[in-house]
Amino acid sequence: MYGGGNVFEATKFDDVQVEDPVKLEEFEARIARGEKIEPTDWMPELYRKQLIRMIEQHAHSEIIGALPEGTWITRAPGFRRKMAQMAKVQDEVGHAQLLYSAAETLGKSREQMLTDLINGKSKYSNVFNYPAFTWADSNIISWLIDAGAIVNQMANAKGSYGPYSRALERICAEEAFHLKYGHDAVVHMATGTPKQREMIQAALNRWWPPIMTFFGPSDKMSTHTETLMRWKVKMASNDECRQQFLDMYVPKIWELGLTVPDPKLKKNMETGQWEYTEPDWDEFKRVINGDGPCNAERLAVRRTAEERGAWVRRALLNPKAKYVKPLA
Amino acid sequence: MSLKSLDPRVTRLNLPEGEVPAMEPKPELDQFETYEAFHQKKEGTAHTYVGPVHAPNEDVAFLFAKEQYSRRFPCVGLWIARTENIQVTPYVGDQENVYETITIDEPTERNEQAEPYEIFHLKKRGKAHAHAGRVMATSYPEALAEAKKAFGEKGPIVNVWVVKSKDVLQSAEEDKDMWTTIPEKKYREAIAYKVMDKITKYKEENKTTTAQ
Amino acid sequence: MNELAIKDLLYKLADDQLILGHRNSEWTGFGPILEEDIAFSSMAQDKIGHSLAFYTLLQELGEADPDTVAFTRNANQFHNSQLVELPNGEYDFSLIRHFLYDNAEIIRFEMLSQSSYEPIAKVATKLKGEVKYHVLHANTWIKNLGSSTEEAILRLQSSLNEALPYALGMFEKSKYEQELVDTGVYAGEEAVKAEWLKRISAVIEKTDLKLPDLATIEPKFGGRYGEHTEHLQPLLDEMAEVFKIDPTAEW
Repeated sequence: MYGGGNVFEATKFDDVQVEDPVKLEEFEARIARGEKIEPTDWMPELYRKQLIRMIEQHAHSEIIGALPEGTWITRAPGFRRKMAQMAKVQDEVGHAQLLYSAAETLGKSREQMLTDLINGKSKYSNVFNYPAFTWADSNIISWLIDAGAIVNQMANAKGSYGPYSRALERICAEEAFHLKYGHDAVVHMATGTPKQREMIQAALNRWWPPIMTFFGPSDKMSTHTETLMRWKVKMASNDECRQQFLDMYVPKIWELGLTVPDPKLKKNMETGQWEYTEPDWDEFKRVINGDGPCNAERLAVRRTAEERGAWVRRALLNPKAKYVKPLA
Repeated sequence: MSLKSLDPRVTRLNLPEGEVPAMEPKPELDQFETYEAFHQKKEGTAHTYVGPVHAPNEDVAFLFAKEQYSRRFPCVGLWIARTENIQVTPYVGDQENVYETITIDEPTERNEQAEPYEIFHLKKRGKAHAHAGRVMATSYPEALAEAKKAFGEKGPIVNVWVVKSKDVLQSAEEDKDMWTTIPEKKYREAIAYKVMDKITKYKEENKTTTAQ
Repeated sequence: MNELAIKDLLYKLADDQLILGHRNSEWTGFGPILEEDIAFSSMAQDKIGHSLAFYTLLQELGEADPDTVAFTRNANQFHNSQLVELPNGEYDFSLIRHFLYDNAEIIRFEMLSQSSYEPIAKVATKLKGEVKYHVLHANTWIKNLGSSTEEAILRLQSSLNEALPYALGMFEKSKYEQELVDTGVYAGEEAVKAEWLKRISAVIEKTDLKLPDLATIEPKFGGRYGEHTEHLQPLLDEMAEVFKIDPTAEW
């Protein structure tokens, strides 16, 4: 589950001028023809760095994203939900595995990525720094956060890097279950007892502001962004994703008689665009930089899992083995 | 004091509260080596690349790949090969055939016993490698040359993987029952969740109150 | 066939699978490596699925529906062995329990697939392949870790010693034992235990672990008759926390 946002910062590799012009031209021609780039192809440093950064953040978002819904894994009500909740959280871990592997093909090892995650050096999707207070919060995450992620991932699956596209194809297929499961759970709550309805409305109210920041702030258009779009690294703008999400899901929320806690939210029929209260980007920045309700806990849990599992990995590590990155 | 979480599982981990020093960077190899997994969808179809797993050895890699890559969708077989044991040709364009663009250094002398090699082809960039067949050879280059003769003629082939058959762990015939119930696990398929009736009923009952 | 005997057997099978599946699901997101996290979760899901299959057979025999049975009974109404309700501990304990438990479970499934009681035979036949993977998983891990570092061997050995009395508790006989054997439902707990001992010994022999003399170990009985450790009731309370907000609601 991943939305984007805060990904495309400039790096010192911004200067594409230093690249070999002949190779750069071949590379760009390949992408323009609609061919994918594969791991051993020549690629500009900027391409490599941005992809590592993007796929790594996506992977972190999956493994950390397993925690808010994991909060309810032992308490899911009834067999149907219990098994599905287990499978759903398992999928998030599975997605992390797929994405770390895709990032590894570009030259950053899983070891380095996990170290950077735990030490706060690389980011993950900000929404997972918020708590899942009740079972209903977990349902809202399953439905709407995954819905947002699908919008983003469907776009990225059409990107130019082969291993990332392959991983995303598998991920999108699994997310279809998440989305339906989440919607099913929310519908049951919204059309259920007054208590259930109250729970789901309260959860929606809590999650709406983070959801609106899920795709990140409006992109600043720069030559940097244009380059990444031409290289099919960035496939859609944050605002396009947000609009698409609102278009697809606000009607589905409304048809259940639930309210969205934003009095300004409406579709402008002339422009075809949704209007909404601008999300609190200061809070977004504060939380992404570590000062959110759950940042410390999320990282502490991840770290503990790594540390308490270390004896298993030490025990089975083949002393002659050396790191070889996966093939594709 | 240990951390009290909304997640009872986390509370039971007894995590220390407050600031902790940064974690020592992981050693260079902490997550094990990688193995590549190939999955067979149904009888008679080619084993197709699904992705890597990190594992300490091929037996554990099999256990891992089985759940990571075949817990959904029909599956009748799984192959595992250590990444290091797979030799890879360069990648060529989607319209090209890699066998025609590379020179294969075939050894002139062959005094060793030939052994089987498995050959995998990638037909289009962004897609997955699929098993093309098996050849007998005494070295990787010779296996590639044999592969070119045996099945390198037709259409675009953008990349080839070559691996000795003895380095591929193949699931056995009697392992097949491990996958027989997968299609029945509907709770993890989108198709199991149908709520239109509930929504329609709700809308019917609340016609006057929910007009937007 | 005595329906009470069949029900008693089904409750044992279902409750064991439910409680262990629940315990194992606690590992999701906390495993020692991502791939193992995924594998362990699949097995936990299978176990919950197996319990559902057995509770469904119970419902066909007139018991309440599976959700009610699983989510509203108290600890003293559960027939699982105490082994499965113990907290997860560290990964060594969870692995050892998985090894001891699934090597018994596969034998039950093999026997039950031949059962004279057809509904059980059908379910056991269908689900046997899943348990086969669980056993392969457990045995592979024990063989690997059990002959690795001193640290790992020490951990596993101490978990093995701790778990064994409870593992022997799995074979506590039901009051219908003789009847079940006589009517060909399955060969009985003594037979399961003998075969289990053979199988776990064969694995342990390939490692640096030592299987203590089982004759010197007092089995922790009681679970099959509703006597449990202090760990089961809190587990059940947690499992039913949401369900009990309104047991009549559709969640």
